[in-house]
Amino acid sequence: MVTLANRVSRWTLPAFALALVNFLLAEALILAGLTWPARSVSAPGTLAAVHLLVIGWLLLLMLGALFQFVPVITARALASQRLALLTLLAIEAGLAAMVGGFLAIGRHPALALALPAGGTAVLLGVLLAIFNLGVPLFGARPLALPGRMVLSGLAFLLVTVALGLSFALAFTVPPLAPYLAVLLYAVGDHALAGLGGWFTLTAMGVSYKLLPMFMLAPEERGVAGECVHVLGAGGFALAVGAGLARVWVAAEALRVAQDSGYMAIAIAVMIYLWDIVRIYRTRKRALIEAHNRAAAGAFGFLGLAAALAIGFAATHRLGAGAPLIIFLVVFGWLGGLGLTQLYKIIPFLTWLTRYGSNLGRGAVPRVQDLVRERRSYPWFALYFLGVLLGAACVLAGHAGGLRPSLALVTLATVGLLIEYWRAWRGHYAHGRRDASAPPSFVSNQRG
Amino acid sequence: MSTPAALNREFVLDALHEVIDPELGYNIVDLGLIYGLDVDSGVIKVTMTMTTPGCPAQDYILSGVYERGISLPGVRDVTIDVVWEPAWSPQKMTPLAKAHFGIQD
Repeated sequence: MVTLANRVSRWTLPAFALALVNFLLAEALILAGLTWPARSVSAPGTLAAVHLLVIGWLLLLMLGALFQFVPVITARALASQRLALLTLLAIEAGLAAMVGGFLAIGRHPALALALPAGGTAVLLGVLLAIFNLGVPLFGARPLALPGRMVLSGLAFLLVTVALGLSFALAFTVPPLAPYLAVLLYAVGDHALAGLGGWFTLTAMGVSYKLLPMFMLAPEERGVAGECVHVLGAGGFALAVGAGLARVWVAAEALRVAQDSGYMAIAIAVMIYLWDIVRIYRTRKRALIEAHNRAAAGAFGFLGLAAALAIGFAATHRLGAGAPLIIFLVVFGWLGGLGLTQLYKIIPFLTWLTRYGSNLGRGAVPRVQDLVRERRSYPWFALYFLGVLLGAACVLAGHAGGLRPSLALVTLATVGLLIEYWRAWRGHYAHGRRDASAPPSFVSNQRG
Repeated sequence: MSTPAALNREFVLDALHEVIDPELGYNIVDLGLIYGLDVDSGVIKVTMTMTTPGCPAQDYILSGVYERGISLPGVRDVTIDVVWEPAWSPQKMTPLAKAHFGIQD
């Protein structure tokens, strides 16, 4: 008899659920006019929404995915499923404290300590996650390209969270207050390390495994993949490292190093996008599924963000253009890729946990039977249209147009959330709302 | 124990068509995941692979092969050997499966 070993990450689906709730909360804050562009970029509401997006939505989404993905690429189990749960609890509790702390700025001084306390909890959760993921990654050395990119991403995650905690401490601990003004110059480096070094490098690594796997394309990325990793990781390290050093030391060499880092990142992104096009073109599977079709939108936004960043840098307006680039990266690239891939991962994990043990014993649906792809396309289209309209408004100097555009994005998020829920409940597989009954059909094709 | 007349390689392969790779949504026989299959004295010996190492569905697919095999009349045991060489590729699919996925030879 075959024993069903636990290859399914128990806390991945709960992590996705928490992440999606946090995403909706962030969108609600923006729609309520409590954030940029209605308020300043440093307004309490903006800070709360930004951290809901990057910690609550993207960090939990990525860690949930990695808890399932790292065992796939290493063929080794996580150090502990219980640590994965502790990670989720620490990060969500820490985030709640941070959001409360941000919203209390200037109103409830007693709540100020919630910021470093929350930041410490998030750091603790991240350290647990890095250990949990690091054990299988180190045990599986030498790692293939996706594993090495994830490892690089985790290093940047540590830098990002450490920087964030130092901001929180300087903000709330009086003896450290004199350093706050200096540290604020490093906010850009904090964002670059997080959105670039951590999220983007990791997403690239994950996509290098999942896209060829789902589309039956060659997995070997050769020189192009190595260049993306080396130039990307090196570029982010150089740009962040030199940027941090420039906070304390004004040296021309550091500015040159920082610009070189930016250039390396831009080249890495261009090679990556070219390589992604190559994966799509060399795929064996002619008819690809909705998540891979829709993911093209996310790759397009990565290209757009990179092109605008190059344009802003060339015209010495990188600082002024940063909010738009961050918006495109968070909503278009990372958020778009996350929402599209959830449309595959949630039904797949649902199948494993709900139907997998019936395989060979009777009728089971396919993963594809858990979704209705044609229903997802309007939501994906609306999401990316909303992001594009929002970006166009900001670029045209009408930042006020961002909120109506975000209403479209939020509507699409809700629509997709309903589709995820239906997949998880087996709504389409059973043809009725009662998901507790076994499926009533056999879906196996015969050759 | 003697093997029933109907219990032969073709009969077992036919039964294994009911086991699917959930991600691709197609049966494992036509996907080309079965590398070898012997039936001897009521024992089915399967040599097979997965589409990718570390696949989260691996144990479910192996369990499916075991359960479908052991349910056949006259079968005393099912042994499964998972191998990674030669690595699976879409070219190992049958023409029907290739047509389903739009794969050209």
